[in-house]
Amino acid sequence: MTTLARHTLDSAVGEIEVHRAGSGGPAPVVYLHSAQGEGPGMVLLEQLAETRVVVAPLFPGFGSSEGLEHIDDIEDAAFHVLDVLDRLDLPWCDMVGLSLGGWMAAELAVRWPERVRRMVLVNPVGLYLRDAPITEIFGRAPSELAGELFADDDFPIAQLMRAMDGMEADPSQIPFELVRPILQSQAATAKLGWSPYLHDPKLPSRLRRVTAPTLIVHARKDGIVPRVHGEAYASAIPDAKLVDLDDAAHLAPLERPDEVAKLVLGHLGD
Amino acid sequence: MTAALPSGSTQEAPVRFFSFHLMPYPDLPPDYDGPAWITCPNELFDPRLGGDLYNRYIDELVYAEELGFDGVCVNEHHQNAYGIMPSPNLIASILARLTSRVRIAVVGNALPLYDPPTRVAEEFAMIDCISGGRLIAGMVVGGGPEYYSFSLNPAHARERFAEAHDLILKVWTEPGPFEFTGKHYKLRYVNSWPRPIQQPHPEIWIPGVGSLETLEFVAKHHYAYMGIPYFHINVFERMFAMMRDACQKEGYDADPLQLGWLVPIFVAETDAEARRRYEEHFWYFVRRLLPGINISPPGYTSVRSVENIMKNAGTFALNLETWDEVVEGQYAIVGSPETVTELLSANIERLGVGNLLGLFQLGTLPAADTKQSLELFATEVMPKLRHSFPGALDPGASVGARAEDRS
Repeated sequence: MTTLARHTLDSAVGEIEVHRAGSGGPAPVVYLHSAQGEGPGMVLLEQLAETRVVVAPLFPGFGSSEGLEHIDDIEDAAFHVLDVLDRLDLPWCDMVGLSLGGWMAAELAVRWPERVRRMVLVNPVGLYLRDAPITEIFGRAPSELAGELFADDDFPIAQLMRAMDGMEADPSQIPFELVRPILQSQAATAKLGWSPYLHDPKLPSRLRRVTAPTLIVHARKDGIVPRVHGEAYASAIPDAKLVDLDDAAHLAPLERPDEVAKLVLGHLGD
Repeated sequence: MTAALPSGSTQEAPVRFFSFHLMPYPDLPPDYDGPAWITCPNELFDPRLGGDLYNRYIDELVYAEELGFDGVCVNEHHQNAYGIMPSPNLIASILARLTSRVRIAVVGNALPLYDPPTRVAEEFAMIDCISGGRLIAGMVVGGGPEYYSFSLNPAHARERFAEAHDLILKVWTEPGPFEFTGKHYKLRYVNSWPRPIQQPHPEIWIPGVGSLETLEFVAKHHYAYMGIPYFHINVFERMFAMMRDACQKEGYDADPLQLGWLVPIFVAETDAEARRRYEEHFWYFVRRLLPGINISPPGYTSVRSVENIMKNAGTFALNLETWDEVVEGQYAIVGSPETVTELLSANIERLGVGNLLGLFQLGTLPAADTKQSLELFATEVMPKLRHSFPGALDPGASVGARAEDRS
């Protein structure tokens, strides 16, 4: 597997962290992460980098990426991603986005469809469906969320989240260096998705503008985004299809990198 | 109304006495063990009982004037059983009419929840007019739960607060109409009728739990900082030391009137009697009404402030288990008049505060006990404290007037 190297990039909002590796393929793959800020050291990206150029920018507020003070909402996020593509000299790319990142990819693709060649959205948020709300992610105990994010209770991150229980009573017991990045990434997510809750009311009517052939991946054990959201994306985007992934939950790319890599490469082509 | 205190050194610290009411809901069913905030089902609110409570609680505040307090305090919380006062301005306007002497402190309006916040400038000016210039205008970011209850983005809380504050001060101090164009509020015609009686504006209080931004903000504007309770007394000591440092950095010494300490107080004939009659009501407050209050939504507090607040979180009253801990940390001052006088006197000295905000009704504490405790406090405790801290004899004292006096 190919390890991604950490770079920094001067963006319009400040210096951001970009992880990058690989060569070849019909187009570079840009990976937009979820509210977890995954990317560095991620097995899925290392697998993709064996045959493709992979670029994973960290959104302001995640990792060491600066500039969150200049971002207020999802539209700012879309313009930020556009700016990053410009500065990376990527006139077009393949986009893969998980959850929050999937939403950002869709917001980019409705505004500048020519910048996205093909697209994969894994358990994307971004839509509101009256009888199928996205599960609350803010203010929840990590141990509760673990079961919604991961299919396997024994997955290491799920275990870590369960171990955090009981620490809320006395947060002074938690080393602050562990807390700082979580606080920053949660603040970033809140800026984009506190209200309206993880969706953009204008997105559904704009999805017809997406030209990239799009694969929507729904993990059957996703405890955050109901399947009908994937169906809604798939029916609103002109050239889209929905596939289901067994034994995977919201953070499927972390838990099932092999299966997700196969789906991604299958859709993006060699 | 805002006559300056007789000039004197800050050593003879004045103290103003306030009676603070949260207006709690005392009737959560025993089998309800959920939070008292955000999602506490409103079916549990009995409107008839609610009506009785409002009237009783208003009576308790009005009675404080008769007993010789310098002021009364109300505050704002939404969608909760801890304090059923989503609009403190409604209560304050009633108090403005029913009282004639006490300062009326609204501590405060949660500015980011008002859009446009000129509403706060208008309502505060109304209360100031009706009361003949007795309003203390409290401004607050709003507690974490309010950002859930209003679906208001907590990541914008601080900048909305700052902008709303600037707008309200401009409304009060600059002639209208004028245009205001901020990031969050864009108003073409700002021209508030009425204007407040107190000039240039009512005394301003900011409550807080020790966030650095808030302390610096209060110090910069020469406002008063009210330490919100339910922490170990040591936390207050650190918080007020930080406030004094923040004032020093602005180039002046903090006036004791810029510091306020909110603390539950209960007085009975003897220490044993006080505990016997008070303890269960205190635990109702801690175990039934506090759960959920300390939720901190993402982006609500800056990273550097969170670090500071986390250090104190272990001492938050929600973690209390035994009465000994309550006594040791002075989470409530409970006892005979002698004991209460002694403890309050020592703490006023130690903390260097010029405002004592006593929370006399708490949790399920019944009307009769509240009344008796207030009376004992007013007759047996307050006179002794006034004697020890003589500056309090001028109830018209305010931070603004004293700052003016010094300049």
